[in-house]
Amino acid sequence: MQKELNVVGARLPMLDAAQKAKGNAQFTDDLILAGMLHGKILRSPLPHAKILNIDTSKAERLPGVKGVVTGKDIPDRQYGIVPMAKDEYALAKNKVRYIGDEVAAVCAIDPEIAEEAVALIKVDYEELPAVFDPLEAKKEGAPQIHEGVKYNTSFAIKKEFGDVAKAFAECDAIFEDKFYSQAVNHAPLEPHAALAQFDPLNGQLTIWSSTQIPFFLRRNLSNTLQIPERKVRVIKPKVGGGFGQKIDLFAKDFCAAWFAMHLGKPVKFVYEREEVFISTRQRHPMYITVKTGMKKDGTILAQKFQAHADGGAYNSTAPTMIALSCFFLMIPYRVPNLFYEGYHVYTNKPVGGAMRGHGIPQARFAVERQLDMISQRLGLDPAEVRIKNSIHAGEPHPAKFIINTCGFADSVKTAADAIGWKDKRGKLPPGRGVGLAGASFPSGVSNMSHISSGAVVQVGRDGAINVLSGAADIGQGAETVISQIVAEELGVPLEDIRITAADTGITPLDPGTFGSGVTVRAGNAARLAAIAVKQKLYNFLADKLEASADDLVAKDRKIFVKGSPEKGLTFAEALKAYQYADLPMPIVGRGSWMAPATEPTTLFKENGNFAPSYSFMTQAAEVEVDLLTGRVKLLRMVTAHDCGRPINPMLVEGQLEGSVLGGMGQALYENVIVEKGQVMNPSFLDYGFPTFQEMPEIEAIEVETDDPIGPFGAKEAGEGTQLSPAPAIVNAIYDAIGIDFMELPVTPEKILDALAKKHKKEGCK
Amino acid sequence: MKRAVELKINGDTYELLVSTHATLLEVLREKLGLMGTKRGCDLGACGACTVLIDGEAYLSCLMLAVDAIGKEILTIEGLSEGGDLHPIQSAFVEKGGLQCGFCTPGMILTAKAILDQEHNPTEEVIKKKMAGNLCRCTGYKKIVEAIMSVTE
Amino acid sequence: MRLPKFEYFEPKQISEAVSILQNEPAAKILAGGTDLLVNMKHRVERPPVLVNIKRLGDLDFIRQDNGDVRMGALTPLKRLYMTPLVMENLPGLAQAASSVGSYHHQVMGTLAGNICQQNRCMYFNQSQWWRSSRPTCFKAGGEICHVLNKKKTCYSTYCGDMAPALLVMNARIAITGPGGSRELPIEDLFSEDGKTPLRLNQAEILTEIIIPAESVTGICRYQKFANRDSIDFPIVGTAFWASEQKKEYRIAFTAVDRKPLRAQRVEAFLKGKKLDKITITEASGLAAGEAKPVKTSVYSPANKRRMMGLLFQRVVDDAKRRSIK
Repeated sequence: MQKELNVVGARLPMLDAAQKAKGNAQFTDDLILAGMLHGKILRSPLPHAKILNIDTSKAERLPGVKGVVTGKDIPDRQYGIVPMAKDEYALAKNKVRYIGDEVAAVCAIDPEIAEEAVALIKVDYEELPAVFDPLEAKKEGAPQIHEGVKYNTSFAIKKEFGDVAKAFAECDAIFEDKFYSQAVNHAPLEPHAALAQFDPLNGQLTIWSSTQIPFFLRRNLSNTLQIPERKVRVIKPKVGGGFGQKIDLFAKDFCAAWFAMHLGKPVKFVYEREEVFISTRQRHPMYITVKTGMKKDGTILAQKFQAHADGGAYNSTAPTMIALSCFFLMIPYRVPNLFYEGYHVYTNKPVGGAMRGHGIPQARFAVERQLDMISQRLGLDPAEVRIKNSIHAGEPHPAKFIINTCGFADSVKTAADAIGWKDKRGKLPPGRGVGLAGASFPSGVSNMSHISSGAVVQVGRDGAINVLSGAADIGQGAETVISQIVAEELGVPLEDIRITAADTGITPLDPGTFGSGVTVRAGNAARLAAIAVKQKLYNFLADKLEASADDLVAKDRKIFVKGSPEKGLTFAEALKAYQYADLPMPIVGRGSWMAPATEPTTLFKENGNFAPSYSFMTQAAEVEVDLLTGRVKLLRMVTAHDCGRPINPMLVEGQLEGSVLGGMGQALYENVIVEKGQVMNPSFLDYGFPTFQEMPEIEAIEVETDDPIGPFGAKEAGEGTQLSPAPAIVNAIYDAIGIDFMELPVTPEKILDALAKKHKKEGCK
Repeated sequence: MKRAVELKINGDTYELLVSTHATLLEVLREKLGLMGTKRGCDLGACGACTVLIDGEAYLSCLMLAVDAIGKEILTIEGLSEGGDLHPIQSAFVEKGGLQCGFCTPGMILTAKAILDQEHNPTEEVIKKKMAGNLCRCTGYKKIVEAIMSVTE
Repeated sequence: MRLPKFEYFEPKQISEAVSILQNEPAAKILAGGTDLLVNMKHRVERPPVLVNIKRLGDLDFIRQDNGDVRMGALTPLKRLYMTPLVMENLPGLAQAASSVGSYHHQVMGTLAGNICQQNRCMYFNQSQWWRSSRPTCFKAGGEICHVLNKKKTCYSTYCGDMAPALLVMNARIAITGPGGSRELPIEDLFSEDGKTPLRLNQAEILTEIIIPAESVTGICRYQKFANRDSIDFPIVGTAFWASEQKKEYRIAFTAVDRKPLRAQRVEAFLKGKKLDKITITEASGLAAGEAKPVKTSVYSPANKRRMMGLLFQRVVDDAKRRSIK
């Protein structure tokens, strides 16, 4: 399908880019409503404790304070982003489970008074024994964090494909290694915020929230506040980055709404940076053991995988996260015999949630590292081992994934060539090295639940094309990409599109920004809606143009008979004609899209296709290790990404580049350090994610395939890219200094320790 | 403790009554509604609150508003008018030097301070001086390209 | 995070500043603000009075006077690496200034402010709520130091970048107070007491930093090792000064102890020696033992010690390269 495209495939600035550059883009904290009050949350200073008493009297007496709320005031309703895993109260009832757990909230006439008031609340706690490591928390006799959850294990997944024991017996070489991946914070630049307004006359609650999931938020607010969903309207203003951290309901949403309802005034909550680090979400720390059996030639025969995710105090996305960890062991490599088991274990620590890659980067780190270690021991080329074991489009899959297109092997070759694999691997001077690692990621989700997007395209006499989409643009450019798709279908330039998105009171249903499904799901819905509009116009114009509707095309703001541009009308003339004939019926196209799935299942027990399509990628890194200080400089990162056909290559590159830097942070710099449940580095200064100066040279290569499912052949881009920078970098470190690191992050200190150990050992020989 | 002050912001003089312990960031956002200046960490470690004081890049979260008396304050709102864009703003737009846009005003103002003082800085200089402005979306590459394109 | 309330003064004359400070013993001096205001937001400093000295005339200068280089207390850090006099004659000072925080901090921060910055500790540089998980630490007004779990002591670490460079150049500082002005070696400014790191009497203001002519003629370099190339405080910082003719060397470290310190054993060992490879290696072993860092940050003391030796080698190499040039 090589169709001539005008708007799709073009490097266009985001629709709101100029607005953002001018500082006019409005984020939640930029909104001001008349009479607005300001809220602040009191958090637990203890990792595990019973709440005996909360004395709010002093806070209430502080002039300017308008309200104080504690757990006993709120409905007995738990929330959770995954319906089967709800375990969290907006404000703690009776018990706190980590340092940072929400205990009370205040609302005052200005933020300063709110801050002062919150410090005046006195809470009596009875401290309980706490546990900070999932392997400890799983043991008999460990402190129980949630009632009824045995061994603190809230989710477990376990499954076998093929005959693993038999396959291991047939392997030439078997390797078993242990890995650890640390806690990483998303650290979006915009702190989480919510602003709520309530109209007591009609019972309508409106909330502006920095969220990736307006519709889930609506449902959760309705449930926790005990008001009908139709009375809750969630509006997503500009969101200053999310990376998965804003896929949840937070106390700020609930408390803003609660106060707005009880005080009848708008209320705003904005988190401090420290709260973002401690009390929102983080990438799950994970202990992983992988056992892999291979033939001498590098063919993977069997794999056994065990993961313990440190969930922190609550579930958030627990079941999805641990399932993703395991499911994506079966792609991009062919693993004919596989046994996996994954556990989500509570600890008295900050809460794990969805983060770019969502459970998969940890597994990828283990598997991709081990593939290199095995290749090394067997004397094989790690790139060739990857290509050899790559799955291919159309082949049968043990878990019944349907792989329509697969550019994985290509991505390995492309990335290897671009980094100079053949000339550099094992041949660079000491301290320099190259490494690569691969991965695959879903473009949306077809199973697990009814996840679908709707869209409406409406065309008026003004010639503007109004798109209504539920998709949540959090800075990645979803609104632009959707608009490009509509513009392409209707043959108009991007500037003719006016999009309204992510307002549950106006726009059609959309699950939100997660699982890398927005372009495919919401893009397809918008495309169908645009086609519906076009069909209406075509059907109407067919007679007028004495042609069959099937022969009409829309291009350059014109609708004309295919092959005869002179035989047609401008878009504006067509609209005028339509409305004169059918006054004043609006021209509305509707579309909805859900990934094809024969029988939507949870996939926890049954097999089935996980995603409508899968993206594939390889990262190749070149590093320089300072042998004196142990600092690793990532010199260059090539990312070869099969993201189908990019709707907007400039935005895709931006996604890939940002994702590479995040992955580099995870490999070398970032770690949420916890001491007895307390985060020791909850600030940009101490957390230390990479700046301009750490930026490597980045080469983003798109390995194009033309996906039959995605709109105009598009697939996921950007999230999958964060799966394998870390193993690629750590593999390159091996090439540079001959040391295998099994734990992230690889800090200068760890490098120096390992080098010293190595020298000692070599000296002894 | 309040003080009556005159602040010169984007060429206009504002007469205000401000608390002496209010930061310039708080006054810009909460008193004047100049929301282009962002609060990213409030502790001087991200650069999102950057404003120009007499042409230099300052962290407005670590500056008392009363300390800005008598100085020329430039916020992102003062960089260009109406439908116009300053060349640095255009470059960020055209080169894809922004995604979520939260760090963007601070980025653009720091870049302006750099370019106003040095016409053809090297990429190294740009990276070093921009390093106090954090971005979590772009990976910085397109921001560097945008700034470099203005120097050419 | 809001600043706590305080009474605010903007004296125009230094005598006025001194008399305000005399009236309020707990007052603090505000210069660039990049250190103090963060600590105030964290409520580890709550001065009832803030004396903004930036409106004092003539504390922002760099000039040479009889061979000595004299720098005003309020000289912005950025000025130090933009001024030819400093860049050419005191490159170590320029290096140190350009390694402070980020560009913004170098624009806002002042020379004296950097010298007089508060000591740092991961149990101290945190918000009021964060600190409520533990008993208030000694430095913040409590009884205990969480670093080594000891009472009535403070192990916080001095992390300024400028101090080591000034130490190796035997800089002197001028101070004005109620009793007039006095001058002292910068070394005497640091108390080695984590709780009150500076030996300043009440109402004294650091006004000037003087690099003696003798030091201006030597070579001075600064090296910093930190997590990232910008923004961060040093994990270890090292300054080195050498007089080639006299074969005299001075070394100082920051971020390894309660004060910035001169590496006296290394200096004694090096005195009169040529800086050949063996000597440097031996000296770097000594350098690593010049301080006993404790765990006041997320970086381990063992690595700090190791880095002291390694950075020493690196800074000497850097100085040698420069002198050859």
